[in-house]
Amino acid sequence: MNAQLHKFTQTQQSGFASYVRTGILPHLEGLTNNRVHHYRRLVFNVVNDSLQSAFPITHDLLEENDWEELIDNFFGTHACQSYQIWKMPFEFYEYVLNSKTKLEKKYPHLLDLLLFEWSEIEVYMMEDAELSHYNKRGDLLKDVILFNAEHKLLKLGYPVHLKNANEISRSDKGEFYVLLFREPETFKVRFVDLSVYFAWLIEEVKKKSQPLESILDEAEKIFPADKKTLLEKTIPFLNEMFERKFLAGFKK
Amino acid sequence: MNLLKGVPMKRRMKHVGIGFRKDFAEDFFEKEILTPAFIEAAPENWMGIGGYWKRIFERAAEQYPVYSHGLSLSIGSPDPLDWDFLKRVKEFLQRYDIKIYSEHLSYSKCDNAHLYDLLPIPFRWDAVKHISNRIKDVQNFLERKIAIEIVSYYTPVAAEMTELEFINAIVKEADCNLLLDVNNVYVNGFNHKYDTKKFIEGLPLDTVEYIHMAGHEQVEPDLIIDTHSEPIISPVYDLFEFTVNKLPKSVPVLLERDFNIPELEELQNEMITMENICRKAWSYERAVA
Repeated sequence: MNAQLHKFTQTQQSGFASYVRTGILPHLEGLTNNRVHHYRRLVFNVVNDSLQSAFPITHDLLEENDWEELIDNFFGTHACQSYQIWKMPFEFYEYVLNSKTKLEKKYPHLLDLLLFEWSEIEVYMMEDAELSHYNKRGDLLKDVILFNAEHKLLKLGYPVHLKNANEISRSDKGEFYVLLFREPETFKVRFVDLSVYFAWLIEEVKKKSQPLESILDEAEKIFPADKKTLLEKTIPFLNEMFERKFLAGFKK
Repeated sequence: MNLLKGVPMKRRMKHVGIGFRKDFAEDFFEKEILTPAFIEAAPENWMGIGGYWKRIFERAAEQYPVYSHGLSLSIGSPDPLDWDFLKRVKEFLQRYDIKIYSEHLSYSKCDNAHLYDLLPIPFRWDAVKHISNRIKDVQNFLERKIAIEIVSYYTPVAAEMTELEFINAIVKEADCNLLLDVNNVYVNGFNHKYDTKKFIEGLPLDTVEYIHMAGHEQVEPDLIIDTHSEPIISPVYDLFEFTVNKLPKSVPVLLERDFNIPELEELQNEMITMENICRKAWSYERAVA
């Protein structure tokens, strides 16, 4: 805080900002009172438009009152930290995650849907992560596999990536894994529904930096299948991931 | 067509640029209707990103000079400056060789919360001191002068001086440049009932580094909102012509259009109108040269 700014001025500024966020107008000096509401309207529109555009499916799912109340509570009580407005929707997701809103009862898949929609933006916008020291061709079994770094792996409780959000109910609850990655040439974000085994495999490859051969030794201990069966499942999957440009190559 | 070269230099304007927006970025390259002298970008929208939009911005920056107009510095805030943000802005300015960095004379963050809009600063002497020191700090850090924009506002807050006194005091105290948004002066003059020409004559015109022009929307009989969503109206062009004739030197002029984006021909026509006004006003520079 700069000592040169008097407490009075700070209070005026803080009161104005607080009004914009909450709609509660404290006494501020010299205001043209019948115009102040435009600031709140304009700011609310900016936030609402940004969130609607980030979460089109969630917006479509929620009843209008539910949506507006959620946005209002979010902006009124959460101090947005991102100076880049395109990142603000992630704060909205975190806010809903931590606020234990009653909406989760009405829309049990709300959090998964928000996370899925945000993740698409995150992967689309994330900074380029170019791989170095790798070969495009190699031995799937013996060389260390490298994945395209522009991706995100999600574990979800509802199949928001597979079913229309309006048709999902509590009976759909389960364990779902989805991979989102950015195609290096088109920059489009693609998603792949994964079994728990393939989600584990991707994480292991990233974590261990070991050839598939040794990762399968580990897999055999965890999953109810022998190494040969796992291999028969894994090779076509990796080939497909290579075709789809998620598997980028092999470590040199 | 060589996309990396963009519109040939001969067809480009000399003075007028355009705010580069994602909404028309693809058409900008493909149709080559707009022939700006430069483009303007908000660092917040283009830094720290990858993928498609990074490529688009790099392509634009390869073809045109880039000027930068920030959104989140919040120079008028009671909150401390965000040095991490400024570090990234500095990197962005260096990376794209950006000659002008401008920001708003307002605040958009308070009590540690970003508000994503421009709030009116109390026109007060302690605010002058506070903001001037912050501008100096920013200028020292960025190793350049910055241009501070006169913003539109719809209500004063606890003012103890006029807007004109406030702006003049800050520019003098901070030794910064001025971004003169002619539409904002028109909007403020209308909303607060002052003579816009006298206001402009009262500004330190030798510090004007950059001009902004835009459209607005009248929402009440006595209130205009600075929306950047409509075409520029004639009285604003008139004030613009008055302004450029008062300036001691030519400066870059920007067309801002953020919402309700029309066909690019319409934007180009607005730019041509401004370019013609500039060329007429600043023809002496050619004569001297």
